[in-house]
Amino acid sequence: MCFLLCGNCSKMGHWGLSESHPIGYDGLYQGGATTIQRRVFGLHLSLRHDVQYFRGLPVQGECVWDFVMGAEKTIHLACIMAYSFLIAPTELCDNGLPLLAKEIHFRCESCVDMLFVRGSGNCVQCDTPLRKSNFRVQLFEDPAVDKEVEIRKKVLKIYNKRDFDFSNLREYNDYLERVEEIVYNLTNNLEVEGTKQIMEAYQRENRDIIQKNKAKLTREQEELEELLLLEQQGNEQRRLETLQEEQRQLQAKRKSKQALLDELERSHVPATILLAQHKDRAAQLETQIEKQKQVVKTTIFSTGIPMGQTVSLLTVNRLEEVLYHYQPIHMHTYGPPVPELEQLGRLGYLNHVRTAQPQDMAGGYNSGLACHRAIQDAFSGLFHPLG
Amino acid sequence: MFHISSQKKYWTFDNEESLEQLRCEANQKYRNKMLASGKPGVSDAVFLEAHEENVLFRHYEKRLLDFCNAFKPVMPKSVVGTAIMYFRRFYLNNSLMEYHPRTIMLICAYLSCKVDEFNVSSTQFVGNLVQESAAGQERALEQILEYELLLIQQLNFHLVVHTPYRPMEGLLIDIKTRYPLLENPESLRKSVDDFLTRVTLTDSGLLFPPSQIAMTAILNSASRAGLSMESYLTECMGLKEDKETLLKMYDAMRRIKSLMKKYELPKPDEVNAYKVKLERVHADFGTNSNMKRKRGYEDDDHVAKEPRMTEEEWTDEDLDDL
Repeated sequence: MCFLLCGNCSKMGHWGLSESHPIGYDGLYQGGATTIQRRVFGLHLSLRHDVQYFRGLPVQGECVWDFVMGAEKTIHLACIMAYSFLIAPTELCDNGLPLLAKEIHFRCESCVDMLFVRGSGNCVQCDTPLRKSNFRVQLFEDPAVDKEVEIRKKVLKIYNKRDFDFSNLREYNDYLERVEEIVYNLTNNLEVEGTKQIMEAYQRENRDIIQKNKAKLTREQEELEELLLLEQQGNEQRRLETLQEEQRQLQAKRKSKQALLDELERSHVPATILLAQHKDRAAQLETQIEKQKQVVKTTIFSTGIPMGQTVSLLTVNRLEEVLYHYQPIHMHTYGPPVPELEQLGRLGYLNHVRTAQPQDMAGGYNSGLACHRAIQDAFSGLFHPLG
Repeated sequence: MFHISSQKKYWTFDNEESLEQLRCEANQKYRNKMLASGKPGVSDAVFLEAHEENVLFRHYEKRLLDFCNAFKPVMPKSVVGTAIMYFRRFYLNNSLMEYHPRTIMLICAYLSCKVDEFNVSSTQFVGNLVQESAAGQERALEQILEYELLLIQQLNFHLVVHTPYRPMEGLLIDIKTRYPLLENPESLRKSVDDFLTRVTLTDSGLLFPPSQIAMTAILNSASRAGLSMESYLTECMGLKEDKETLLKMYDAMRRIKSLMKKYELPKPDEVNAYKVKLERVHADFGTNSNMKRKRGYEDDDHVAKEPRMTEEEWTDEDLDDL
């Protein structure tokens, strides 16, 4: 078992054990999942293999810094604060840690449980008040991405305007750009205070619009959920039905086999006739089953709206557009007019073309096609104006 | 159809002078490029003039025609026509000194087989180069495959060529149906074919629509055979009232015939002299195509992975301190 030391201490040979000892950045080991062994009080401690690192800090996996003080109690010390990217290593706050605008705190689950058994507590290293509810399972490998995703969710709860809230595309794009700026600033800890003020100001001004959009969103979500639910129900039903069908079929087969055996035993009619009868009955049974399957349940109206669903009665916008008028295409061939394909036979062209063999006709070819193409090519561009 | 084709839009020019102009420009462009590149031994005398290029062009074109005619399996005429048209179009915008016609001519044939759906595998194709050994055929195939995309590019990706053969068939059918004055149009067929083969060796394909070339062929053969077909144009084509179009047609036909007359096979001694010059130009200034072949990843600078930091190992020394 190992104990992480900050670089300063290890350099100076201090092997003291202290829970609240602050951990400096440069004392952390880079990468690798091998064993690191350090001597502490004559004990060889080693780091476990299954830890994932982020910039040298154990982030996920099991909490490995089981630290035995030669006593009964184990305290997890390896829940190390992961620093965000903007570290100025020369600046140190008073407890020896680099001064950061905002840190991401990583803890393994068991540590979270233990540390926040009372509901809220302080980060072990830097005494920032933290709440247990604020810890979420890390979804993305890169913690910066996770942080950004969380921030984005919060921001978009407030900035929830949609594209039809704006009169033109330019304004909508400007709005989106502002939102992205805010998210960027918050993620990279630039002007956090100013950004927060901007957000609050926006929230105050557009409170009613935010509410309205929230309502719209929820309605859409409801509709989606309804659809999903229906789909699921449909699937379930179908599954159950097929299962039941199979069961019934199996049973029917078994019964008929049993009946056949019984009859073979009992009756005096010769066996071949009995077998024939049995086959007839089996065929009849199958056709019956087929017919049953074709009974369609009526669950939807003819327009496609399922029965029993609530229909929203909002008016649909009318769109006025110019009506389409058909105009036949006119092709300028720069040549004399070509007779139509259907007229070729009547006009006698087909007499001078090789007649189609039965094999060709079977494939859909007829001599008119080749003739028509040759005539078209012959007449196309014949009167082409030259320079 | 021809009237909506790329051939009509982009590859039909107004007169022979514009074609000459384009060829001179191509020649000049190559010369300027070589002079500007500053390679040793570059001087104006080394390069071919436009008319010398013309002679060589005709020579190689004839060779292409012979190659296609000797091809096994027998190449349809439209494929031959397409190949020659590609050859002609390519050297309208490029100089013979830049790309050797011997390679380009094979690529034209190969591409036109593909475009015209005349299915020949590449091995079968190079098998027709009877004078080369198997290794020579391999090399030829490699060269073909290398320059194929270049050819397509220089054709501006306009690969569909309308040759006069189908219009000729169509006109014969029409004559048989609507023009009973001419008793046996089939008798004309041989001389018409001959005429069309000779016309592909001229610039007519780049100046006139294929149907006009076919019409010229038929009327010419008819007049050679002593049969009169004047009323065909006026009556059947409905040009009795339209004098202007009729005049234009006659004009076009006259021009085609004059182009045919002007064509002559290149003289062998001239050809040899210019060939020597061409070979020298290619030997001195031609880029060796093999160098251009892409190498594998070994030569590219690829980003090497950073070495892992070596962890401190537990050594015996540590034990000693215990």
